[in-house]
Amino acid sequence: MNYIVKKVLTLIITVLAITILTFVTFTVIPGDAAVAKAGVDASDEQLEALREEMGLNDSIWTRYTRWIGGALKGDFGYSYQYNNVTVSYLIKTRLPVTLMLAGLSLLLIIVFSIPLSLLAVKFRGGWIDHVISGANQVAMAIPSFFMGILITFVFGLVLKWFQPGNFPSPSENFWGSVGYLMFPALTVAIPKIAMTVKFLRSSIEKETKEDYVRTAKSKGNDEQRILYVHVLRAALIPVITFIALVLAEIMAGSIVAEQVFTLNGIGRLLITSISARDYPVVEAIVVYLTSVVVVINTLVDILYQLIDPRVRVS
Amino acid sequence: MSENRSTTTVNQEARDILLSIRDLTVSFPIRDDEPEIRETILDHVSFDIPRGKVVGVVGESGSGKSMTSLAIMGLLRETARIETGSIDFDGIELVGLDEKTYRGLRGDELSMIFQEPMTSLNPVMKIGPQVEETLQLHTKFSDAEIHKRAREALENVGLEDVDEIINQYPHQLSGGQRQRVMIAQAMVNRPQLLIADEATTALDTIVQARILDLLREIHEKSGVSILFISHDLNVIRRIADEVVVMYHGQVVESGTTSEVLDHPKEAYTKTLVQHAPDVDTLASGHPILRMEHVNIFYDDGFSLFKKREKEQIVKDLTLTMYKGEILGVVGESGSGKSTIAKVLTGLNTCYDGLITFAEDRPQMVFQDPMGSLNPAHKIGWIMTEALRGQKLSRAEKKEKVIAMLHAVGLEESFYDRMPRQLSGGQRQRISIGLCLLTGCGFLIADEAVSALDVTVQSQILELLLDLHKKHGLSILFISHDLNLVRHFCHRVAVLKDGELVECASAEELYRDPKSDYTKALLAASVAKG
Amino acid sequence: MKKWFENFHENWRHLNRKLKIGVVLTVVMLLIALISQFWTPYSTTAMDSSRVMHSPGLLHWMGTDNFGRDVWSRVTAGSGMTYLVAGLTVLIGFVFGVVIGSLTGYFGGWLDEVIMRLNDMLLSFPSVLLALIFISFLGKGTLNIVLALGLLFIPSFARIVRSEMIRYKERDFVRSARILKISPLRIIVFHILPNARVSLLTTAAIGFNNAVLAEASMSYLGLGVQPPTPSLGRMLSESQSYLFNAPWMAIGCGVWIILIILGFSLISDGLKEEGGDEQ
Repeated sequence: MNYIVKKVLTLIITVLAITILTFVTFTVIPGDAAVAKAGVDASDEQLEALREEMGLNDSIWTRYTRWIGGALKGDFGYSYQYNNVTVSYLIKTRLPVTLMLAGLSLLLIIVFSIPLSLLAVKFRGGWIDHVISGANQVAMAIPSFFMGILITFVFGLVLKWFQPGNFPSPSENFWGSVGYLMFPALTVAIPKIAMTVKFLRSSIEKETKEDYVRTAKSKGNDEQRILYVHVLRAALIPVITFIALVLAEIMAGSIVAEQVFTLNGIGRLLITSISARDYPVVEAIVVYLTSVVVVINTLVDILYQLIDPRVRVS
Repeated sequence: MSENRSTTTVNQEARDILLSIRDLTVSFPIRDDEPEIRETILDHVSFDIPRGKVVGVVGESGSGKSMTSLAIMGLLRETARIETGSIDFDGIELVGLDEKTYRGLRGDELSMIFQEPMTSLNPVMKIGPQVEETLQLHTKFSDAEIHKRAREALENVGLEDVDEIINQYPHQLSGGQRQRVMIAQAMVNRPQLLIADEATTALDTIVQARILDLLREIHEKSGVSILFISHDLNVIRRIADEVVVMYHGQVVESGTTSEVLDHPKEAYTKTLVQHAPDVDTLASGHPILRMEHVNIFYDDGFSLFKKREKEQIVKDLTLTMYKGEILGVVGESGSGKSTIAKVLTGLNTCYDGLITFAEDRPQMVFQDPMGSLNPAHKIGWIMTEALRGQKLSRAEKKEKVIAMLHAVGLEESFYDRMPRQLSGGQRQRISIGLCLLTGCGFLIADEAVSALDVTVQSQILELLLDLHKKHGLSILFISHDLNLVRHFCHRVAVLKDGELVECASAEELYRDPKSDYTKALLAASVAKG
Repeated sequence: MKKWFENFHENWRHLNRKLKIGVVLTVVMLLIALISQFWTPYSTTAMDSSRVMHSPGLLHWMGTDNFGRDVWSRVTAGSGMTYLVAGLTVLIGFVFGVVIGSLTGYFGGWLDEVIMRLNDMLLSFPSVLLALIFISFLGKGTLNIVLALGLLFIPSFARIVRSEMIRYKERDFVRSARILKISPLRIIVFHILPNARVSLLTTAAIGFNNAVLAEASMSYLGLGVQPPTPSLGRMLSESQSYLFNAPWMAIGCGVWIILIILGFSLISDGLKEEGGDEQ
């Protein structure tokens, strides 16, 4: 219990640190926010008035507290690139697509990686194992944007299973949008499936070399029982940590996939905002993405504590 | 399970043999990628295990003793090949036995305990299920019956709080408890043959003695035959009725324990049985080291979330060592003997009290010959590092190093070798040479021969004695092994939980120990000769 | 020289297959990239309206693009930039990582604690995501990409070096060196680091792998290498519009990136296997 409290406290401190760091960095980087909003043609008086209006002349601490106070209520201010649109409105409209994409990708990863790694272990050294590990090696080397382009080419242009660039809105045609999202999800998932299979296989491989496996054999266990009763139990524990990594990778992957499949999600919003120097939006998304990663890691640490008996005590 | 389980009286002519190995030859590939280039690990091994007896197999590393046990259990690695021979277990031929029948025997008629109880138990499975598993696999008992029998088995190995232990994981138990659990899970199904492979090697002297007594007791109660494998003659002497001596994959000699160990016929057995070399010099009267009321603490380093804790390891130690003396320091793990060595060499500075040296700080020879030489460099480079303080030309340094190689009994060619190409004994010679190159006359040997085979052990001790005589070397000899210290040291200090229990001349200590702890240690180590 | 070659041949024979394939692939690709900086079969910039979007053939192995430029020439020339960015990135990460990791690992203390907590946090982020965040701070551009990726590789190097330091500093051979009164700096550089070379090389190979991937992704997103410098990622993004009519533009470029990454990932996997054998 004590451990969980400590972890959550650390989490809160970390997230606060992230917000301060992000805010300070965006304040000190070159480029005047007022110029970004008003455009380069604005006169000095206009700019000064805008600065006063935006509160840019206050001290950094005042501005941070104002910003974080708003952020806690879900108010990140107004976007520079779109007139009179709040940042939270932008994020709220873009988030569903990103979440659906991430969820589908995770589903694909789980559905494919566990059976594949068991197959590879079961036929260790056989041709199935070789095919799986060879495919793995290649899948991990394919950058996700190229994977996306290949999938677009094969399924979109040659087979015409979906219309690239024509994403049905989830609110109007839910299943249609899921169908479209399967392809970007596949793009995100394939390299991650490869990673997971490789990790799980070597984790199992490592456990089978432990002394206790010999003990289990000396008791009269057969290979099947040794794998499922003894080895898998220990081999699956490190996978929990690995899942955290995969979740973070999914987020990174979906940013790229959104670009390839022209999906209006958080990732595309981030990239257009970086190019347009729309700092309020970038700031909010950076804080959001980092917080998600930190939260996932904390959850995994706690889960680990609950599951591994070796860590649990003391 | 067979009905014939009573211990039959053995008569000299017709011995009741449980397991008979004949002409067993096993080979392994030298490299994994070239399966046809093989070396012979077991070479026409033959011996018997009579029903209801304890047979000890003794030998050094590489003698093939563990391979023999794995061959009996059918647990040899897949790359191993049985070239010739037979293993007859109670009328069943084990060589070439089909896997299904073999699985039926393992855990039922044949069972085994291993050296490292920590890694040999499943770390993420509770103790109860691990013991019960053997019964689940081989019997049709009800769950309640299995549970009851597992509890009994755990009680029979002298574990207290069985209710609690059943629900614990291996890492929550002590080393001795874990080995008791291993024995319980091996004995729960009342096998005919129990194989114990270095089963007490990882344990402290007194715990070791208790486990040996337990095995003997179980043997007498149940009549189980035991094949006990060890490198330690004293352990074998304590438990075995008969002994098989192995060397380089062959059986050198076998017979009853007293026959073989007290009146060895073969030259190799004789060298094994020989005790450590005697020291015959006298120490001078000049102190080389004085420790007065020294307290040593464990420094746990810095942590953001924990307060810096100081755990006291050594308490109020007062000890004087004389020039030219060999002083033995004896104690079990955790007694603080290695901590003293760290303070004396300056590796640990977390102490109070007074420590004075008459000359330089001592140099140190470490226990593990694998770890004490830098694996990334050649021997010449490593030894030259010891001369860094001295203003010599490159050629002079090389000359000195080569002279030292000769002094520790090695050839010049070792200068260009890598540590991994050396045997354990050769590495310890290099370590000793490294210390002497600094010109230091005071050496700490921290379990410096414990990791070595018996015959190599005595060679290294001879070398140390030789250097002691030639150069008047003073040696602080730290060991857990009372039998070694007895002959090798002038005086012996006994440590327990960081406190000095007693310190006396070696002869006096062994003849007339003053403290109860020393008496217990001596009884556990069953010194002979 | 002959002896060196014999030694090389002997050592090479014992390397595992993954490592051999990885090294050969990377060396060949590097050579091609190097040569194409000085000579390519066709100009990388000159447009030719008579040869727009020719499919791959004898004259143009990878076909031509929408301006009639030879894809092979552009891809190989662009791969030079990829290697350059990856190399600089790994260099920054390596140098700072080794220094920080050595000092914090060997001496420990509160600084070690703080830096490692920071490291752990950074390491839980995928490199593409981190690069994006850094780029949001720094703005786009080639130099910024090198800086951002270099910065974000420091932690992974520092972590490996630190764990090697911790692994070795309580080993008996290091204790023995300390008893011999050898200075900490010398112990770090001459006694410990030579033992860590396999894991350093492995980390460097993984670093190259990630750097290539991250650079290509950033350039694909339009945030990395800026025109007119040729870049594989951006070429891929440009070719996407012609995917239906001239798929070779995308495929030639994509396969090249895959081969670059495959080379490094085979090397790192092979090195891991070699390291595993030693223990």
